[in-house]
Order: sequence, then C-alpha cells, then structure tokens
Amino acid sequence: MKPFQRALSLSIALALGSLSLSAQAQVTLNVISGGSQNMVDYVTDYLGPLFEKQNPGVKVSVVGTGPDDAGSQKMLEKLQAQKAAGLATWDTDVIVPNQQKTGEMVQAGLLLKYRDSISTGKYAVSQSAKQALGVNVDGYVMPMFESQTALAYNPDLIKNPPASYDELRSFVAKNPKSFGYNGLKGGMSGVAFVVGWMYAYGGNPDVVQQGPYDAKAQAGWKKAFTDLKAFNQQVVFTPGNAGTLDMLNRGEIAMGPVWVDMFHTWQAEGRLAPNLKLKLLSPGMPGQPYYYAIPAKAKNVELAKKFIALATSPAVQAEGIVKRFNWYPGIDANVVKSSLDAKTWNQLFVDVTPTDLAKFSKPFPLAPFFKDMREQYEAQVQN
Amino acid sequence: MQRPTSSLAMLALLAPAVLMVGLLFVYPLGMSLTYAFHNELTGGWDLGNFSKAFALYGGDIALTAGVTVLSTALVGVLSIAIAGYLTLGENQRAVAILGWIYRWPLFIPFVVAAQLMRTFLAKNGMLNNTLMSLGLVDPLNAVSLLDWRGVVITFVWKQLPFATLLICGAMAAMDRSMIESARGLGAGRLRALLEIVLPQVQATVWVALILSFVTMLSALSVPMMVIAGSPTMLTVDMAWRVNSYGDYGVANALGFVSFTMSGVAAWFYLRQGLRDGRPPK
Repeated sequence: MKPFQRALSLSIALALGSLSLSAQAQVTLNVISGGSQNMVDYVTDYLGPLFEKQNPGVKVSVVGTGPDDAGSQKMLEKLQAQKAAGLATWDTDVIVPNQQKTGEMVQAGLLLKYRDSISTGKYAVSQSAKQALGVNVDGYVMPMFESQTALAYNPDLIKNPPASYDELRSFVAKNPKSFGYNGLKGGMSGVAFVVGWMYAYGGNPDVVQQGPYDAKAQAGWKKAFTDLKAFNQQVVFTPGNAGTLDMLNRGEIAMGPVWVDMFHTWQAEGRLAPNLKLKLLSPGMPGQPYYYAIPAKAKNVELAKKFIALATSPAVQAEGIVKRFNWYPGIDANVVKSSLDAKTWNQLFVDVTPTDLAKFSKPFPLAPFFKDMREQYEAQVQN
Repeated sequence: MQRPTSSLAMLALLAPAVLMVGLLFVYPLGMSLTYAFHNELTGGWDLGNFSKAFALYGGDIALTAGVTVLSTALVGVLSIAIAGYLTLGENQRAVAILGWIYRWPLFIPFVVAAQLMRTFLAKNGMLNNTLMSLGLVDPLNAVSLLDWRGVVITFVWKQLPFATLLICGAMAAMDRSMIESARGLGAGRLRALLEIVLPQVQATVWVALILSFVTMLSALSVPMMVIAGSPTMLTVDMAWRVNSYGDYGVANALGFVSFTMSGVAAWFYLRQGLRDGRPPK
C-alpha cells in the first residue's frame, strides 16, 4: 500500500469508527406532535430536557405538524407512506395525534399496542383511553391531556350567562351580534359548538356518540341545521379560535365558545382580560384528548415506551399538564391530585366545576356521523 | 476552451432542469388534474368530484374569481397611478418620498400581512379606532372588514409594490423625449400618462397584473386568517377537504377549477409574448 492510500484508508476507518461510536452514545428519539405550538413547546422546553436528563445519551427531537385534523392527517400520511414503501423500521418513535386520526391510524394498522407494557398504563381510566370517536383504541394510546370547550363570556356585559343551548338561543334573539364563533373551517372550538348544537337539537345524541352508526339516526338533523342557519344570522363569525378570544377581549362580542386550556393560558399570560369567565352549556359541549402513541414499526420502541411512561406519570401530569398548561390530566385525576397543591387544583375547576364536567363534557361523534355532520353543515347551513 | 455547440451537450445541460420540472411539477400536476376525475368510492372515472365541488363550494368559486379579478384591477389602477407619478411628478421631494415608501409591503410575507390586517381591520381595530377618534365613524356603526373586503385590501396592499416596481422600471426605460414634446405641446400630466406613457409600457402592465393574479389566486394564509365564516376562497376549501375528510378527490377538482382560472391568465401571458414576437418577460 502506498503511503497516501494507507493514510486515506486509515482516516476513513477512523471516521467510520467515530461515527459508530457517536451513534452508540447518541440516540435520537423522534417525536411528532400535533396540536398548537404550545404542545411542541411542551416537549421542547419541559418534557424533552427532563427525559434527556434521566437517559444520558438520548436526544429528544420534536417536530410540530399543527393543530386539529390537519396536523394529525400529516402524521397519518407519513406513516402510511412508510408502510406502503415496506420499510422495516419507520423514522418516528412517538406521535401525538388527535382523536379522529388516531382512530383511523389504529384501523389502518399503523400503531403499536403498547399500553399494558408500561407502568403508567393502569392510570388510563377515561372513556377516551378506550374509544376514539367510536374506534376501539384500547391499549394503543395513553391520553396526554383532556381538553374541553366551553362558553367564554364577559361578565361586565352579561350578568346571567346562558346555561343551556336553549337559553343561549333566546339570549341571542334578544341581543343579536353579541355571540361569536368561528364556524366550521376556523378551528375545532367552532366545530365543537356545532356538535353541541346537534346533540341538543338533532336527536339521538347517545347513538351519535356511542354508535352503532346508522344513517336513520340523522332524522332530526335537517330541522336542527335549519334552526342553526337562522341562528347564524344573529351571530358574528370570528377568524379562528384565537380570533374568538381576541374579539372577546376587544369587547366586539360578549361571548363565544373557546378551548378551556387556551382561555386559562391566555389569561395567565395577561393576553386576556382577567374578568372574563367560562360556562359549560347544557346538555353538553364536546372535549377531546390528544394521545401518545407509538408507530407500529418505530425504531426505538423501548425508549418510546419509557418516554410515554414518564409523560403520563402523576408527577409530570401534575407539573407539566395541569400546572403549566391548564389542561385537564390525561390519566386518572385522583392520582394527579395528590401531586398538586390545593390552590392549583382548585384553579382548574373555578368556572367549570368537576360536577359540570361529569355532566356536560361530551365526546365528539363517531367518525362516520362526524363526517356526515360536517358535510351537511356545509351543504345546509353554509350554502 | 471549446464551446459546447453540439446538440447533445446542450441536451445534457438542459436535462437536470427539465427532469426537475418534470418530476417535481409536471408529474404531480398531471396526477392531481387526472385524479380530479377519479371516483374513490367506485374506483371508476366520472364527474362526481366536480358536482360535489360545485354543489358545496359554488359560491366560493364565484367569490374567488371575483376577489382576484377585483384585486387585480385595483392593483392595475393604483400601480399605474404611482408609477405615473414617479415618472411624471414634478415635486421632487414628493417623488422621492413616494419612491422610498411604496416598496415596503414587498418585504412582508403574506402571512404577516394577514395578521397585520386582522388587527387593523377588526371592528375595534386600528382603522376604526382612528376613524372614531377623528369623529368620522360613530362607534355603534363601526363594521368589521374581516370578510372578502379585508382580503381585497390585503391583496392590493401586498401586490401593489410588486406591480409598481415592474411598471416603474418600464416607464423609466422609455424615451423621455416623447413625453417632453407632449408636455411642451400643452398635454396635462394625466393625458401624457394615459395617451403617451401607458401605450408604450402596456406589455409590462399586463405581465405585472397576470403574475399578481396568479399569486393572489394561490394565497392560502390571507383568506384563512382574514375571512371569518363563509363564503371563503378555494384554497381554504382545498385544505379543508384534505385535512378534515382526507378527501383528495374533491380537493383535486377544486384544484382543477383554480388551475383553469390561472390557465386563462397564462394564455393571456403567452399571447402577449407571441404578439411581441419574443419570449414573454
């Protein structure tokens, strides 16, 4: 071997050696998160560093795909593409999708059934840990948090806020343009308001929520949508979830449906007037969880399980989910309560009490009903 | 050094670009346009996606056409006025200030422009607050402009400097002697602009307007953020079909409609180039 070739092969060997060494020392856990930027920040600023500290040599890398169905649809398509390409291992270890797309992922065989093999699995007691819009997801998911929509209102303008959809209708009839929501395409709080309306007036709310799917259950929808179209003439449309809060804050509307966690966070950050309050309407408004799930062919399965076990431990749920983000815990609230001071715990339930939640917090409809509902709204209310 | 004159060498040089355009643009476009006619339920080929698209989003298609045409027309009138003043204006200070200021929106992305307008045009936004404090608008009668009007305002504000920049350049490149002789013979500035300057820069005006039209047609962030409720623009509907229903069929059909609109603009663009006997600018 000539000296030059020897030097070259030596340096290549060295380079390869150091590469494989660093590969051993540094494992990257790839997390893809749906939801708004705050959910990505949660992993970047809090959960990721915590996990890295407990597991030296591991780096948590997180990418956000955006809120609502859109963000989770991107994950679904990414996993589907990797499955269709027949890859042995996929490049994502943990995903955080919303409810509807999680159901579709389970049905498409894209997720791993992992819950019984992690220590915190037993804390997943809520209905949403078993069912996602009518799809059985038991064992495939751990709820990250539960979120709830409610009516936010300005008590300076409304002394006695409406407690039900009926009262809201008569209030809006007397005070047109005082209520605002973001319609169907502007974000999930608007969709949630429409779904609540259909639970109140569309008939068969139990079938719509629990199944089985039967198109006959939609008999009362036409009338409900006609009423909603008339109701819409007296309301203000807001540009998105944040738009509703902005308009409430500027006094352009007196009330509107919002996500409870976003409301609390904005208020805590001083972006929302401190006197604004929340009310959960009867017979109910929907809420939804985001889930932790593991793709069927994730590369670092054990590490992913460890990560989710940490994320759903009572201590992290208390500090991260409840205290920092004002979300309702994803796991059994009773085990979280002991990790929290009474003040923080009570703050979460000031306007919307645990009794209200138990009575009026509803799931979104079964996926096929949900699709029909949104398409019929487009056809009958928007046109 | 020998110049690569053989056609083989020319092809080799062209190949990467052609391949790139073919793979990343023509192929997906062809797929999207073809699959607009694909019925995912039956697996056959029909017009089902189009009938659904027109039934649900007919109003939005009309609104999209209306908003983009109106915005383009306003961009045309205003950019000719600004470019005309910059070329023919006699107050040097005003010309300098205008020339400095008109380019600003060019540096602002659509999504930022939309966010600016969200706070500017809201019912209690900056515009109405200013009008109220000047006593021009009664607080009770203030209206929010966050609908198609807000989109038109955003589009015009954002595209105006782009069109003005092109038209201004063409006007600056003109032979000034004709303007000066017209002015010498007593033509007013407006008349000089409309009858002497404009006919000479007509080709550039068309190009600027067509490019603005296509840009506005494809903007998603502006209608998404500015329009509250419905009707809205096609880009929002396409995103909605894909994201909420995973329905690429109707989204492709809407894309086909949108492509037809920009196809009309492209036809004007190419015709312009052919008439001038040289490739379009």
